[in-house]
Amino acid sequence: MAAPGGPPAHEGEGERSAAPAVELRGITKRFPGVVANRDIELRVRRGEVHAIVGENGAGKSTLMKTLYGEHRPDEGQILVDGREVSFRSPSDAIAAGIGMVHQHFMLADYFTVLENVVLGSEPTRGGRLDRAAARRRITEISERYNLGLDPDALVEDLGVGDRQRVEIAKVLYRNARILILDEPTAVLVPQEVDELFGNLAELKREGLTVIFISHKLDEVRRVADSITVIRRGTTVGSADPRTTSTRQLAEMMVGSELPTPETRTSTVRETPVLTLSSVTVAGIGGRAPVEDVSLTVREGEVVGIAGVEGNGQAELVDAIMGLRPLSGGTVSFLGDDITTWSTRARREAGIGFIPEDRHRQGMLLEAPLWENRVLGHQTRPPAAKGWFIDRRSARADTERIMQQYDVRAPGPDTLAVALSGGNQQKLIVGREMSAGPRLLVAAHPTRGVDVGAQAVIWGLLKAARREGLGIVLISADLDELIGLSDSLHVMLRGRLVARLDPDGVTPEDLGGYMTGARTAEDAA
Amino acid sequence: MSGRVVATLRRVGLSLLGPAIAVAVAMAISAVVIALIGEDPLEALEVMVDLGETPRAEVQSIVVIFNRAIPLFLSGLAVSIAFRMGLFNIGVEGQYRLATLVAAAAGAAVVLPAPLHVLFVIVVAMAVGAGWAGIAAVLKVTRGVSEVISSIMLNAIALGLAAYLVVGPFRGSAETASIVSTTPLPESAHVPPLTGLLTGLGLAEPRSELFGFLVIALVVGVLVAVLLARTRFGFDLRATGLSPSAASASGVNARTMTVKAMLLSGAVAGLVGLPQLLGSTYVYSTEFTAGLGFTGIAVALLGRNNPLGIAVAALLFAFLDRAALPLQSIDIPSSVVTIIQGTIVLSVVIANEVARRLARRSAEREAAAVTGAPPDPGSGSAPGNGPDGTQRVGATLPETTEPRA
Amino acid sequence: MRGARMGKTGLRATALLLAGSLALVGCASDDDGGDDGGNGGGDGELRIGLAYDAVGRGDRSFNDSAYAGAQAAVDQLGGEVQEFTPNEDGSDRAEGLANLAEQGYNPVIAVGFAYDETIAEVAADFPDTTFAQVDGANELPDGTSKGDNVTGLLFAEEEGSFLAGVAAALKSPTGHIGFIGGVESPLIQKFEAGYVAGATAVNPAIRIDVQYISPAGDFSGFNAPDRAEDLADVMYGDGAEVVFHAAGGSGTGVFAAAVTAGKLAIGVDSDQYNTVDDEAQKAVIMTSMLKRVDNAVEAFITEFEAGDVQGGTDVLNDLSTEGIALSTTGGQIDDIQTQIADYTQQIVDGEIEIPTTP
Repeated sequence: MAAPGGPPAHEGEGERSAAPAVELRGITKRFPGVVANRDIELRVRRGEVHAIVGENGAGKSTLMKTLYGEHRPDEGQILVDGREVSFRSPSDAIAAGIGMVHQHFMLADYFTVLENVVLGSEPTRGGRLDRAAARRRITEISERYNLGLDPDALVEDLGVGDRQRVEIAKVLYRNARILILDEPTAVLVPQEVDELFGNLAELKREGLTVIFISHKLDEVRRVADSITVIRRGTTVGSADPRTTSTRQLAEMMVGSELPTPETRTSTVRETPVLTLSSVTVAGIGGRAPVEDVSLTVREGEVVGIAGVEGNGQAELVDAIMGLRPLSGGTVSFLGDDITTWSTRARREAGIGFIPEDRHRQGMLLEAPLWENRVLGHQTRPPAAKGWFIDRRSARADTERIMQQYDVRAPGPDTLAVALSGGNQQKLIVGREMSAGPRLLVAAHPTRGVDVGAQAVIWGLLKAARREGLGIVLISADLDELIGLSDSLHVMLRGRLVARLDPDGVTPEDLGGYMTGARTAEDAA
Repeated sequence: MSGRVVATLRRVGLSLLGPAIAVAVAMAISAVVIALIGEDPLEALEVMVDLGETPRAEVQSIVVIFNRAIPLFLSGLAVSIAFRMGLFNIGVEGQYRLATLVAAAAGAAVVLPAPLHVLFVIVVAMAVGAGWAGIAAVLKVTRGVSEVISSIMLNAIALGLAAYLVVGPFRGSAETASIVSTTPLPESAHVPPLTGLLTGLGLAEPRSELFGFLVIALVVGVLVAVLLARTRFGFDLRATGLSPSAASASGVNARTMTVKAMLLSGAVAGLVGLPQLLGSTYVYSTEFTAGLGFTGIAVALLGRNNPLGIAVAALLFAFLDRAALPLQSIDIPSSVVTIIQGTIVLSVVIANEVARRLARRSAEREAAAVTGAPPDPGSGSAPGNGPDGTQRVGATLPETTEPRA
Repeated sequence: MRGARMGKTGLRATALLLAGSLALVGCASDDDGGDDGGNGGGDGELRIGLAYDAVGRGDRSFNDSAYAGAQAAVDQLGGEVQEFTPNEDGSDRAEGLANLAEQGYNPVIAVGFAYDETIAEVAADFPDTTFAQVDGANELPDGTSKGDNVTGLLFAEEEGSFLAGVAAALKSPTGHIGFIGGVESPLIQKFEAGYVAGATAVNPAIRIDVQYISPAGDFSGFNAPDRAEDLADVMYGDGAEVVFHAAGGSGTGVFAAAVTAGKLAIGVDSDQYNTVDDEAQKAVIMTSMLKRVDNAVEAFITEFEAGDVQGGTDVLNDLSTEGIALSTTGGQIDDIQTQIADYTQQIVDGEIEIPTTP
């Protein structure tokens, strides 16, 4: 671990090229009232994979937007190949050879790979799309970097990994020499991550420079040639992945010691809280998103459900919460058959809910925090008194939650939108816990929250589990799933295909089950 | 605590800033329009704010403004109830026309003692308005028909139906009358005017009567305000408006809420024609004031869907409507007033958006001020003191596989 | 809590706003107080208040006609005309009338039956002002009078429509004509009744297609040329050879359809041969049923100035007073003038009774 503060130093290796591919000097970017980036120093050598790591909200995205020309820094210089540049828009950045692969793909589903790649910079001949020329270029790029793309495949039919390669091809097609990859592994299962890293090696071999943004430190250590750590808006140091441990990196990121999701002593009791028997949810035509799912959650038990996104987890959560009607099977909760109960009745009976997408299902962003405290509990004290909302108690209880669950905000009247993701999530967790639920349905409870908040949330879940709370946990973070769960199911194409013991399973094994490469027979 | 007050004041300030800027911008644009047609904008302004030469004329102008503002307030209120839950009840027009007609006909057909008779007319009007709006709601929840489309269609049907009913079964006027109307309501169904209140305050006696319905409108306004802001029902309604998905995840039944909100909106819409029906014309006729439902949309926008704001917006619209009269005497066409109203609404829509962003940014700034610079030494975003601190002390990183090179 | 505080602040702001505007008002009325004295007292000057129906001046129809009459009177007698156009929903009619009276305009002439509901009330408030109402009788249908200071300026639309029906029937060899009304109101039904009676008087077997653009209470029919054109297209397509419209501003749609079909149309109120600009349309306007609102208004003002207005009565403008007539511009009905003159005489003599309802 290098000394924090100074710019990443690689002077000793400078023979290869006089100037770094990208150099940022003293970049500061302010938004009204907030300094998003402060005195950023970054030096990326040509032909290396350079990782930028930091917690969510540390300022990585702001920095990359600056580099990609999406906004201009208030102070500081950007140098590309030793020349100072000033980008007014991403097209300036593209012209300078910088390309960006966004975390969320920007592809048109019903277009072919070729059409998506050329979209926006179409080669034309006589005013018409020159498909032959485009196909030649794309095939060449695909072969050169081993991307394995079929120019005529419909993007709709492609898997996540392929889509990402299309995005990479798009950038290469525009002659980018420097690629920015924003959290490229967030959407990939481990096997796909391996493939991506293979591709990155090819890019590197061809002399391209890759800036790789991530907060998954193990991956960073595997792929990066050098690492710059960002904390609270500024570069705190650089690290050599060969000599720095994951833990040391994490501590640089957070600035202190670190938590773990692991729970080792079982607190599982006998009484079942939730029992699903042969639950089936009908889809709109085609395959049922959830088919014949049976599982039991007992008091003090965390039942984890692993699966590649889109395999029915969201629909299963909806079915448990009463947001989606069942076409078959029953749901029982504490001995009552609640299959036909409304969402409100289920919540009142003691089911807490941490939704997958807090902005969509968990919060009223334009409402103050205390109203968000009321949300989901509007029929019960302290939120309600008779037919009325009890504003005073709701406010007081919001203050209590803020204190107890470390929600950092000016006060209960702050609009929820003003909070960071972590603080919003802590408020949601606090709110759901405050009602004293018997069952908690937690979908991606730490998605998009920083390490600090993640630790708090893990702690809360563990404490509640000890108190006898049953938890259904759905997560894309396999470490989280393995670490927290007492039993683990794998969901694939709407079915529970395997039941695993979290004690003996690795993320790689789990990834195999999730993609269907391994089956339950192997597990047995 | 004082921080909260300051924050609240700032938010209120920002929310008032929008409409204020909008009105100013609209005035400026209108001044340009007036100048372009060759008239003096300053003279126009002078004429607009001049309520009359004699005390009596001034009071008369105030009465005219209030009498106009009352239905606009009710109409804006009806629109806002639906707006607050994300529904666009463009059908207030049809709802109030039909409601007024049926209430007028029903009221003329029964014999009741005074207070009950008025109550009866009100209840009938609210029921018809709610029923008509309910059709749009039911179509939405059962068939997924957009309430915008269906309520536009229902407007057309309501107008046709009202025309048929007033000419046909509900006709109370003579065959030869140029204006076809219902049978006049008997004395017992009249709402007594509030003019006495004005003269009691020492003001001159106006020519026209101030609608007694003002009191009822105020009561309805307060009830709606309390309902929306303070009750569980209101919370569910507003939550659905802010985020339908979050509301249903919180246990709100979106379908039921849609129906309830539309019924409520329609019931209030049913009242729109009553100030005039029970206060001055006592009949529904083919000449009954039309268009209040559409103006109500503008009023609701201007009032930012807040009952108090809507009251102010209704008064502003009524004030401008009255100004159309004196403007004509200095040869400024009354359409200038329509232009002013239009530009105000347009500017308000824009200004509201700007104000909303400013408010959001100021909230973000406050939050950043709290979380961004804590005096906590060493670690800004490190785990704080959770309810279960021991969990995080001495914890180890999840051990995962080593890099594969 | 937030709401309550917001409420209080809002209230305070409103109060301030109101106080501010009252202050402004005070200033404004102080300013005006001075120069107004000269206006009120003047006796010699003729000051006419003219309150229009719906769209106001520029309708190329009876509002314009009323203005022409008032202007003609002013040209003769001197003085000024102050106009008032009601707002879109017509809710300020009463206030507009009263405003004219209050400012000392006398006489005040209201154009259109829509003032039926309001004129009585206003007239009672201004007993010293003389009112007239075009298209509105002094006596309301329920038998009460609108006041002694209100004169009704009525027109025998059925008589003119009868002649239009006669002309249409004479110009239709196949015996198929049409009628398009703007709004299905009693006034327009009067046109229909007269037209049908006139046509059947000429040709008892004639086929008359009757359509209204909008139902009673929906006044859009007076200003919907597109819908009028659709209806007329169908009529002409079905074989109608002449279509008479009583649809105000929608009439241009009927003319357009006539041009397309190469057939004839009859205009209404004013001489529409002169109000359309398109030569092709002039060619299809066979005649117009004139309702001389201008004459009636001018005559009323002249009488008023002479001190001859009694009030509390109606003035009926019909064929005998030439308040109603068929226009001859374009010369398309010159060949049937004898028949028309014959029917005119019979009507004036009372030999023909014309119904006023269909």
